[in-house]
Amino acid sequence: MVPAEWYLLLAAAVFCIGLIGILTRRNALLFLMSVELMLNAANINFVAFSYQWGNVTGQTFGLFTMALAAAEVAIGIGIILVLYRNFDDIDVTKATTMRW
Amino acid sequence: MIVEALIAFTFAAALVTFVAPNKVAGKLAFGLSLVPILGSLFMWSQFDATGNALLGGSLAFEESFAWLTLAGYELSWHTGVDGISMPLVVLTTVLTSLAIVSAWTPIDSRQSQFYGLFLFMEANLLGVFTALDFFMWFVFWEAVLIPMYLLVGVWGGPRRKYAAIKFFVYTNIASLVMFIGFMALVFGLGDSITSLGLPEIAQALRAGELGGFGALDADTLRLVAFVAMFVGFGVKVPIVPLHTWLPDAHVEAPTPASVMLAGVLLKMGTYALLRFNFTMLPETATALAIPIAAIAALSVIYGAMLALAQQDLKRIVAYSSVSSMGYVILGLIAYTVYGVGGATFQMIAHGLISGLMFMAVGVIYNTTHTRMVGDMSGMADRMPITTGIFIAGAFGYMGLPLMAGFAGEFFIFVGSFGSQALPYAPVFTSIAMFGIVIVAGYLLLAMQRTLFGSFRLETDYEVGRAPRHDTLALATLLVLVIALGVAPDTFFSMITDAVTPILETGGGL
Amino acid sequence: MAAFDYAPAIVLLPFLSFLVSVGVAVSGRDLLPKGGALPGIAATAGSFLLSVWMFLTVSGGQYYDETIYTWAAVEGSFELTFGLLIDPLSAMMLVIVTLIATLVHVFSLGYMNDDGQTGLPRYYAGLGLFTASMLGFVVADNLLMAFMFFELVGLCSYLLIGFWFREAGPPSAAKKAFLVTRFGDYFFLIGVVAVFATFGTSQFAGAEAFPVLAEEVLLGEASANTFGFAPQTWFTIVGLLVLGGVVGKSAQFPLHTWLPDAMEGPTPVSALIHAATMVAAGVYLVARMYGFYALTPTTLAIIAFIGGFTALFAATMGVVKREIKQVLAYSTISQYGYMMLALGSGGYIAATFHLMTHAFFKALLFLGAGSVIIAMHHNEDMWDMGNLKEKMPVTYATFLAGSLALAGIFPFSGFWSKDEVLYEALVHGLGGLGGGEAEGALLLGAWAMGLLAVFFTGFYTFRMVFLTFHGESRSDTARNPHGVGWNVKGPLAVLGVLAVVAGFVNMVPVAKLTGAEIEFLHKWLEHGPAGLTSEHYTELTHEFAHYTAGTLAGGELGTALISGGVSLALALAGVGLAHVLYNVPEPTEHTDKLGGIKTLLYNNYYQDEYQVWLATGLTLPVSRAADKFDQGVVDGVVNGVSSVSLFSGSRVKQLQTGVVSNYAMLLTLGLTVLLVVFGLLGGWF
Repeated sequence: MVPAEWYLLLAAAVFCIGLIGILTRRNALLFLMSVELMLNAANINFVAFSYQWGNVTGQTFGLFTMALAAAEVAIGIGIILVLYRNFDDIDVTKATTMRW
Repeated sequence: MIVEALIAFTFAAALVTFVAPNKVAGKLAFGLSLVPILGSLFMWSQFDATGNALLGGSLAFEESFAWLTLAGYELSWHTGVDGISMPLVVLTTVLTSLAIVSAWTPIDSRQSQFYGLFLFMEANLLGVFTALDFFMWFVFWEAVLIPMYLLVGVWGGPRRKYAAIKFFVYTNIASLVMFIGFMALVFGLGDSITSLGLPEIAQALRAGELGGFGALDADTLRLVAFVAMFVGFGVKVPIVPLHTWLPDAHVEAPTPASVMLAGVLLKMGTYALLRFNFTMLPETATALAIPIAAIAALSVIYGAMLALAQQDLKRIVAYSSVSSMGYVILGLIAYTVYGVGGATFQMIAHGLISGLMFMAVGVIYNTTHTRMVGDMSGMADRMPITTGIFIAGAFGYMGLPLMAGFAGEFFIFVGSFGSQALPYAPVFTSIAMFGIVIVAGYLLLAMQRTLFGSFRLETDYEVGRAPRHDTLALATLLVLVIALGVAPDTFFSMITDAVTPILETGGGL
Repeated sequence: MAAFDYAPAIVLLPFLSFLVSVGVAVSGRDLLPKGGALPGIAATAGSFLLSVWMFLTVSGGQYYDETIYTWAAVEGSFELTFGLLIDPLSAMMLVIVTLIATLVHVFSLGYMNDDGQTGLPRYYAGLGLFTASMLGFVVADNLLMAFMFFELVGLCSYLLIGFWFREAGPPSAAKKAFLVTRFGDYFFLIGVVAVFATFGTSQFAGAEAFPVLAEEVLLGEASANTFGFAPQTWFTIVGLLVLGGVVGKSAQFPLHTWLPDAMEGPTPVSALIHAATMVAAGVYLVARMYGFYALTPTTLAIIAFIGGFTALFAATMGVVKREIKQVLAYSTISQYGYMMLALGSGGYIAATFHLMTHAFFKALLFLGAGSVIIAMHHNEDMWDMGNLKEKMPVTYATFLAGSLALAGIFPFSGFWSKDEVLYEALVHGLGGLGGGEAEGALLLGAWAMGLLAVFFTGFYTFRMVFLTFHGESRSDTARNPHGVGWNVKGPLAVLGVLAVVAGFVNMVPVAKLTGAEIEFLHKWLEHGPAGLTSEHYTELTHEFAHYTAGTLAGGELGTALISGGVSLALALAGVGLAHVLYNVPEPTEHTDKLGGIKTLLYNNYYQDEYQVWLATGLTLPVSRAADKFDQGVVDGVVNGVSSVSLFSGSRVKQLQTGVVSNYAMLLTLGLTVLLVVFGLLGGWF
């Protein structure tokens, strides 16, 4: 059996990739994808610990998160569409009018 | 249950008015507000309380339901009325109805919301004056601010936003200071109390069960808490130098809101001072007697001097409120029956008289569209009845005998002059009494310039008689002021009955 | 006691007429004939009849002192009550006030109604309320009630002085009158409060009355809270505080300045309020609580000195005035000075006597002046009059009677009363001086000023008479004066008779000379409830103030005759001088020869100027400075706090760039920092 550490390392790697994506990308779609990566990193952790302790609660949460992520994507795409309609662009650094 | 019924009905009435059409909202709100008047009058007729609500007196219409337990403290819905709160309840209901009538003419937009907020404010005010549990009292106390903020901010004059925000932020920060002070006391009491009931806390404090809290020993804690609560409530009163929100709020507020602000909202401050500071911490109050009396005398004289310098009729009355409320503080610190009883009586008297004056100024403003003293003269020629009532109200403000103001002021003076609790009592009393000369000065000067002389008006408005409903509302208030001045004992006997237990450690009679 | 059951009605009847008139005024319609004068006349006449009944009952040796209403009561502390005290003093005052009020109401028919004035219901409402308040003050049985009605009287005075509110002068004069008297009442109110704090009661009469308690304290039989002072000192302070109200209402120096201005009001009002009754309230109050004042020699001396000074001071100003009502106003101030002089020198009866005669002859003179003013179409300048005696004989005859009384010419009423005032001051001054008391010198000084004022009084009174009624007519209106009706002549005739005969009730020198018992007023005031009799007051002044009677040559009788003779001679000298200077066909302004002094007198010694300066030159700028301070500093701090918050907010908000990546970066950094901190604290490394 693969020890839990490997899963955790994988999850940390995926999370970091997602994080770097968010910090460096300006395209909203890529942004959304990076967020998905981070969510899935958390999912991996859930499942890994569930496997480790033999408790299905973690897997249940994994399923929840996937449903949540789907919903989030739906809303996210919607926001991106509105973004495009208002700014003719999906560059997230352009839409700063809501700050104050 | 009648207190609950009263509050619940008023909330419901607020809701109904809020959704009613604008056209009927004014009349509807007035009709609905008559029910609380009848209710409070019924309460008055059935009133059978003796002693002080916080100090183990028997209450009228007491109700108590356990609500929830929070951090080891039982919170409950606890209401009741004693001789101090009963007159204030009557004052609130009566003044609200009359203020609603005075709003019929000037309020010409969003009427249903205006009157809805008005009734909402009334309900919360009733809650403030009847609640005996700190938690619910505090909720009502804070909730009063919201409708007043909106009344000033939406229907107010040109600088309404500034005034509304100043009012809200100033009084809210003050509430925070007060809250911290009070909570420090609660924690200092430790295990000796199990609920946030005001009677329990008051009795525990007077029994000397206060321990230290944090790094503070009991005496320091008392002092700190007293000062925090004094400052917190003092903003509401307002005492000098915490008064500057008041003139701005009054000048910008629509007339009916001014009536409520001066008539009832200021009394929340003095009521709370009496209930909290002066009932719960009498030793600290007496220890601080000289600075408090100095603040009282300063409020009286300084407020009156400021009123003398004003050109705006509303500002004049606003500053004179500062002056009049100074008398209340003086009466409270005297710790005599006449002093504290007179202070409570003065709350009622000043509520009615300042309400009368603001309404009269409002009626003049409605037809002239100016409140500046220099913009008009000879109004007596065009509005004789309003002028007559204005003069009568002004003399009431000056403390003319057989009107309510004189009774309140005289009780306070006679109570504080011989007070044993206040060192140099005659000196402080004499200084504060000079207010009765200055008040005559600025009101007579303003009256001479606006009401008398040949008619002249700087604005382009046709001046006619005041509407009948305004005149009737003014006349009602005037009759009440005179009735209370001729027979102060209607309220004063129940007030003194409730006040006497406070004075056990106090300044003699 | 049946009679006294109706005593409250004396006060309530005029109050009822006030309510009726207010109702008419508010309705705005002409509901009553004569603008509401008739209810007023009926009410005051009813009060007069009731007062006479009270007077007769009191003369039968019955007195009344009952609390009729508890205004406020507190268990374990003192009660504040209303009550009626009807004794010889108040019964006499009731008759005077109601009589003059009735006559003034009748006179008003001629002065106001026949003149087509508007706002008559308001006028009669004011008169009704005034009469009710004054009567309430007279019958008050305690100091608090007296103060309350004292203030109400002030309100009525304000309303009636400002009756012609459309003009500029009257509202200003009304304001001044109320403010100046209010300033005095401030001290009075402290006095009332101090009396309560000291004695726990403010009753005038009875075993528990505060003068009685004060006496017991001084004798060491009782104790009271005297606030750390010696009882004598504290009672002097309290007495002086109450005296503040007296000085204000009775227009004594330095608070006399309102009274001449008050002449802006309608003349009947001047007669009723500013001569015969309201101004008497101050003096009456001192008489009412004389048992208290008699205990403190310092207060008595101050009262006497203020009185004597005011008598002379006001009389000199009366010499140069042009308007007929101004002369009368200053003579009023001066005459009340005499009453104060009498009270201060232990002459309780003399003061009461002068109060009574003055009420009659001064009301007469004012109503006479009113009659002249009607005739002159409301021109009050005496230099426009002249020779009116041919045109208005009734007015002339009665005015002359009043003037002779005012000047103190034998045997008119003013002679007897003024003579007794000066006699009292003289003998007690001499007695005090003989006994080595410092107050004796003060009394003699006051007496000297009062005596000198007699000369001026004679002069200005007859200057007024000669200018108005004698010589040649100096204007067209004076040649063709407006006629006056019965309602003017009737009151004048009644008061004219009284001005002549009122002095006969107390002819002390004659009594001393002949031994006949004709000092009716002495007899009248000698009886009364315990502690309120003139005999008791004499004992008190003797015991506590050490007042003893001294004499000049010829013992008591000789002193009385010398005193009377000297004052009569001075009065006649004044009249004679006026006759020489002004009783000529074409009089000139002889007072111009006084030069700078005339300017000084005409400007009232610049008393108004400094008081107006105190109000507008000092208080107003101070209040404006306070306002600036309040707006700038106090509110500035508040607004400063808000500015600081807003400014720091505007800086901190720069952190919010609106760029999502920056926020994500912040989040990441924050998380990292947190992890590191926890790691360090938790010892993970």
